Amino acid sequence: MSKPAEIDHAAKAGADVIVLDLVEFVVDKDKPAARERVRNALATVSGAGGEVFAQIDPHAAGADLAACAWPGLSGIVVSRAEKPQQITEISALLGRLEKERGLAKGTVKIVPALETAQGNHEAYEIARASERVWGVTLGRADLVMDLRPEPSDEIHLMPYLMQRLIIVAGAAGVTPIGAWWRAPDRGLLATPENTFEAARRGRAIGFQGTMCVKRSQVEPLNRAYASTARTASHG
Amino acid sequence: MAERKVRRSGLTMPVVTPRFVDNAWRRGCDFVVIDLEDSVPQHLKAHARSLVKDAIPNVSKGGAEAFTRINHDHMVEDTEAVVWPGLKRIKYPKTEHASEVRQLDEIITRLEKERGIEPGTIEIDASIETAVGVANVLAIARASPRVREFGATTGGYDLSRDLGVEMFVDFDQFVYPRGEAELAARTLGLGVRTAPFVANTTGSVSDPNRALRQAEAARRCGLRLGGGGLNPAVVDGHNVGLTPTGDDVHDAKSVLEEYAMLEGTSETWIEIEGRVIDRYEAERARELLDWAALCAARNKEKEEAVARVQQGTEKK
Repeated sequence: MSKPAEIDHAAKAGADVIVLDLVEFVVDKDKPAARERVRNALATVSGAGGEVFAQIDPHAAGADLAACAWPGLSGIVVSRAEKPQQITEISALLGRLEKERGLAKGTVKIVPALETAQGNHEAYEIARASERVWGVTLGRADLVMDLRPEPSDEIHLMPYLMQRLIIVAGAAGVTPIGAWWRAPDRGLLATPENTFEAARRGRAIGFQGTMCVKRSQVEPLNRAYASTARTASHG
Repeated sequence: MAERKVRRSGLTMPVVTPRFVDNAWRRGCDFVVIDLEDSVPQHLKAHARSLVKDAIPNVSKGGAEAFTRINHDHMVEDTEAVVWPGLKRIKYPKTEHASEVRQLDEIITRLEKERGIEPGTIEIDASIETAVGVANVLAIARASPRVREFGATTGGYDLSRDLGVEMFVDFDQFVYPRGEAELAARTLGLGVRTAPFVANTTGSVSDPNRALRQAEAARRCGLRLGGGGLNPAVVDGHNVGLTPTGDDVHDAKSVLEEYAMLEGTSETWIEIEGRVIDRYEAERARELLDWAALCAARNKEKEEAVARVQQGTEKK
């Protein structure tokens, strides 16, 4: 959210969902200004047809949600979700903001990003913590937990974590979001070809869509997930 | 983790075989496991218990930490025989329930008090080697603060027997049990002891090249702790493979320099030669430099210990 030009571009990328980020790609000093921009960005991006989510920091949930809960917001990604209580608290805050700001009750969805061991440990409880939880993702678990490639090119621990997440999502009745990246890719710099392969493998084990960072990744993701149809691009 | 121990290499040896025990100090291990379990025949168990007290200073005089492995079914008498000054950790094989770990903790606590050992210093290594153990990993790992490092088997022999899993195959047959144990360890903030999959289709436990490749693969995954081995030929490979190389250290320093260029800007990452430099890379680089320094200090400590033994021998 600190890069207005990227937000305009994102709107035209062809993704099903645009995620406006306040966490990963915004440095601390830019956060207040970034928050102020969300309301306008929602109008711009949702006008282009896709759904718009915002990625928030659960440790700044009050400020981030106040900045994001405006007409046009479809859902939020909770970065580094670790406890079911965080989700119930965020859900309650959203309920209050929906009421105050004339949004339809209960419509803002939640996608917890389980990026830490603690979050994955409590995945099932987190996925069931609120009716708003629509999907779950491992987000940047490989980076947050510092999981690197094994000689087989699998990212250490990720085959286990991905399958666990997919089972948890199925059991909780929510959408598993992700792709099966292999070395040397971890998502950020992946070529369109490798992005397609990661998505194809991901779909084969049960993922139903994934998030990416570059516009060039949207088309291969849409192609790979064609019938299950969910991709999100970060703005 | 309060204090990171450098435990890259280790040898497990029967306490009843003097030629192993007497030479252990020369092997360059970070730890030596004095075994009362699988390598000791049934009829020698009682004799074996009587040897541990003297074996502890003997195996650790070259700078290795002295550990011991007791028998699952003889927890009380074995623990009585091994809790002596100098012992750092007790490996409890085939742990299946948290109650076992708590019971072991109580016995150690009593013996530490009776035998003048600083309370709480002897660790428990709760080995996960059965299906029941895997089903209870989290409860087991948090059953005692003495459990500081955790993982499901770096080798897999006992687990393979319990589950009917083949040992020497060319794909990772332990994704789930290793994953469960590692997630438990990480959830609790314990040291992670596991091994990335490297095919061993021959079943060799003494191949130094394979030991090196396995340890290097672990290091590249960011793993730091070794599971040890049975044959002295693997020790050097484990020590070297789990120690950052000069190139690793150089690379980490450049990452930190590159990352420092982002300071004060609005960028969270930059791409340099096809590689993303961000706060995660920087954190990894800091950890690596820290680990490299700890390894260097540990190597020096062992060298000095060995030199002291050699000087002592010459004087006699």
